[in-house]
Amino acid sequence: MATFLTRRIIQMFVVLIASALVSFGLLYIAPGGPLSGLRQAQNSGRNKISNEDILRIKERFELDLYIPYRFSRWLIGFPTGPVTIAGQSFLADTVVGCAIPGQARLRYPDGRVELIEDGCRQYVTVADLIDRRASRGILFGDFGLSQVILRDRPIATLIASRLPYTLQLMGVSALIALFIGVPLGVYSAVRQYSRFDYTMTTISFIGSSIPTFVIGIICILVFAIAAKEAGLPYLPPGNAVANSDYVVPFIGTVVAESTLDRFLHFVMPCSVLVFVNIAGYSRFIRSGMLEVLRLDYVRTARAKGLQERTVVLKHALRNAMLPFITIMAGVLAELFAGAAITESIFNWPGLGRLLVDSIGRNDYSVAMALTMVSIFLLLIGYLITDILYSILDPRIRLS
Amino acid sequence: MLKQQFLRRAAVLFVIAMVVPLIAACGSQAAQQPIKETVVVKETSAPVKETVVVEKEVVTDASFTTPHPILGDVKVRQAIAYCTNRPELIKSVYPFLTDEQQKGLLMDTFLPKNHWAAASDGVTVYDFNPEKGIALLKEAGWEEGANVTTGAPLFLKFTTTSAAFRQTWATVLEQQLADNCGITISRTHAPASWWFGDTTGLARRDYELGAFAWVGQADPGGISLYACNQIPLPSNNWEGQNGMGWCNEAASKAIIAANNTLDRDERIKQYAIVQQEFSKDMVSLPLFNRVEAAAANVKLVNFKPNPTEYYTYNIEEWELPGKDTAVLGFTQEPASLYTLVESAAVATTAAGLLSAKMVTSLDYDYQAVGFTKLPKLGDGATNVDIDVKAGDMVWNTSGEAVALAKDVEVTDATGATVVWDGSSPLKLKQLTVSFEMKPGMKWQDGSPVTKADYELGQKTTCDKESGATTFTFCDSVQTFTQESDTKQTLVFLPGVQWPTFYTGGFGAAPSKQPIESDGPYKGKTLADVPAKDWPTLPEVAEMPWSNGPYKITGWEKGQKMTFEANENYYGTAPKIKKIVIQFYADTNAAVAALLTGDVDVLGTETLGAGAEVQTVVDAAAKGKVQVKTLASPTWEHIDFNMFVK
Repeated sequence: MATFLTRRIIQMFVVLIASALVSFGLLYIAPGGPLSGLRQAQNSGRNKISNEDILRIKERFELDLYIPYRFSRWLIGFPTGPVTIAGQSFLADTVVGCAIPGQARLRYPDGRVELIEDGCRQYVTVADLIDRRASRGILFGDFGLSQVILRDRPIATLIASRLPYTLQLMGVSALIALFIGVPLGVYSAVRQYSRFDYTMTTISFIGSSIPTFVIGIICILVFAIAAKEAGLPYLPPGNAVANSDYVVPFIGTVVAESTLDRFLHFVMPCSVLVFVNIAGYSRFIRSGMLEVLRLDYVRTARAKGLQERTVVLKHALRNAMLPFITIMAGVLAELFAGAAITESIFNWPGLGRLLVDSIGRNDYSVAMALTMVSIFLLLIGYLITDILYSILDPRIRLS
Repeated sequence: MLKQQFLRRAAVLFVIAMVVPLIAACGSQAAQQPIKETVVVKETSAPVKETVVVEKEVVTDASFTTPHPILGDVKVRQAIAYCTNRPELIKSVYPFLTDEQQKGLLMDTFLPKNHWAAASDGVTVYDFNPEKGIALLKEAGWEEGANVTTGAPLFLKFTTTSAAFRQTWATVLEQQLADNCGITISRTHAPASWWFGDTTGLARRDYELGAFAWVGQADPGGISLYACNQIPLPSNNWEGQNGMGWCNEAASKAIIAANNTLDRDERIKQYAIVQQEFSKDMVSLPLFNRVEAAAANVKLVNFKPNPTEYYTYNIEEWELPGKDTAVLGFTQEPASLYTLVESAAVATTAAGLLSAKMVTSLDYDYQAVGFTKLPKLGDGATNVDIDVKAGDMVWNTSGEAVALAKDVEVTDATGATVVWDGSSPLKLKQLTVSFEMKPGMKWQDGSPVTKADYELGQKTTCDKESGATTFTFCDSVQTFTQESDTKQTLVFLPGVQWPTFYTGGFGAAPSKQPIESDGPYKGKTLADVPAKDWPTLPEVAEMPWSNGPYKITGWEKGQKMTFEANENYYGTAPKIKKIVIQFYADTNAAVAALLTGDVDVLGTETLGAGAEVQTVVDAAAKGKVQVKTLASPTWEHIDFNMFVK
């Protein structure tokens, strides 16, 4: 077990670094950036932006550093300046970026002319990094500062403000879906081709096929807008709490920010996620169970005269759960990352919406922090899954 | 502890081992001097490569000096204007407007028709007239979509962003030009990040016909768009925004003169010259003012959004009978309430509730609010001729503060552009402006806004480490004097001639605001905090003290901001006691909330002019909400790049 864990942790570390490298690279090449917007306004008069201003902006967003150094500063907080050993300063003159790129004109034999960036007119060295702010590195738990969404303030604050909402929504919906989805799947499999099975299969097929945003919008139209217009009890269309008291027919006045208010706001997004998850879980369990119920050892169990309940729950379900556990590995990451679409539709202030916001508004440091934590939790989820495998199936040896 | 250090070192070594090859691959090298000579590499198949030293070297064979074979001819440009049915373009994107409203959006020059500097006399108007367009094309040597002499097709590349509404009107335009005049355009809808990129698209004049929008303002500006010395070229490091390459001596002189005089009548005269030349040369086809819509609860009284002012400018006058709370819907959460570093519309709107407004800019003009009056020459402002000598700090024609020396280009006291020879006597104008604030302004704790507060505001605003984007205004001030709690005087550098000098100086910052958040400044006051730390300080970024109609009482990230009426506001007490700014993921959700009554106001920055406006207009027709559609100062146009690279 110890050997297995050591090996897996080393693997996880390597995967984490590789994922960080890939996702950092992808976001680096994504279009947009802090300088793009400056071209859309007249650059004259009192608000004229000089080249000096552009340099300052590039420095602030580290756009003047070469990508490997930006990556290492973000990952491990290095380099932040010359390394001093025994009073001696090293690496001070090492070039880590380019403040002002050079330009070159390429004139092709066919007469075409192309202007490109070429070389560098003003370099940035390690010594120039001394006065710049830098995080201790995401590997050491410092997510750094938000560049856009919560300008210059810690990403940890931003995540902390959204995490409770995501945990609440994702945790409750996952639990409800598990408690309903698994028994439904088992029952459907045991009663294959029954009316119940057909009904459940149809519903779960619908739940798996229709995108969440469609279900969400339909729910808002029906249970919020139409119900309210018809004078029926209705659910709030979005947000986590109301801003002022409101009256719901048959319920009465709902006090803003009360438990009832929070519950009413929670019902719709949670229900949509539960519906979608139940559809997925029950289909998965049903197919797993159907496979297992046909196996010889189940027939043997029945032949031994065991009760059907024991055969199904103790013998069949345990084996049918093995592939299901694989998909459950992602639940831990989902709990953190949230459901981006559902949160956006219902205006739920969770981390999923934050991820969408951060990408839409080019706040890559926030997007990277969320991605890294999700990757980390996904890896932990897989580790737990592997351990669970050995518990559920004694034939699997971790060693 | 040792173990942690070991792990940290191991991680550092691991990453260094990973990144070193990448660094090598990226061509990182020791710092070196810029190459100052032209290097020519000639190979049989490879391109010839010249290295351009941007600041000093004169590029002898500069790009963008060869006229465009089609667009270089003014007749073709005029023909395109005549062949474009602009009312039809407007209808394609704003079908919900009445014919009269659509007509009101049409533009003939770079200024909206209701702008104080808009000209009509002498302006060439390009009403839809394909016959005239075809005739002009014929004169230019183009018939039935081809060159009469060479047979080359009349084909142009049209570039713009991928925004949905631009795709809509550009599709109509493509059809119009082809059907009416045989002009073929190939449309490219590029990502905005490329089109407005720092080194791509517009910035590199990489287009033939290029469509985008400028945001108009109460002051027309325009010097960076239309002056001859504002044409972006490799030789000037792409400085300037005159991407068309338009150099009309009369227009260039006029736009510089219009931006270097403080006399409004003179400005109107100069802007008229620019507009006449602009329309005659047809270097850029103005299409229409964009529409912006704002919507509100039907019961909201005094909701009067204006095209050139934030819609909350008169929030203290708003009334919502039966409710003491008004909810504003935003689709973007402000990043900070510190407007020195955050200028997004949502941040400015939210922060506007917390500050005593000094000036408004309604209807393309300015009005005093917190000032007793707007200073005028001879009444609060002087503009006198002074002698300057070598070494004096002056304002050059590029809009920078420089020490006067030989070859420095300035605008002299007569308004002429002069390159100083280093010895001749030189007179420049020096502007001095005094602002008088209304008495009785207070912070939310009841303490008065003092001289020290204005001094702190100026000191922080002009600190290069404050995080502000630009310091041009600060650099233009020679001396700042806060004479009392209500009087501020600015003496500008010789040569500075801000046409909008009367719109304000430096604002106040609450020097005595206590710092209660954890950190090195806890227990101190705002005056003790260096400017570089202001953007990260919660007392500045999130819970600033107010001297405006409301004070902030809460900000739940990702959800809402809450404001309550400021009982110490010096002006009229707000009628609505509480304002909530609720954040929505998108405009659809915000509109749904407006229709269900969860939101009372959606401003122009939230509702914009997208498909959701139709929903709101329909709801307004049924009396469910009120909606205001405005001709925004943002205007669409097509630039003609008159040169090839």
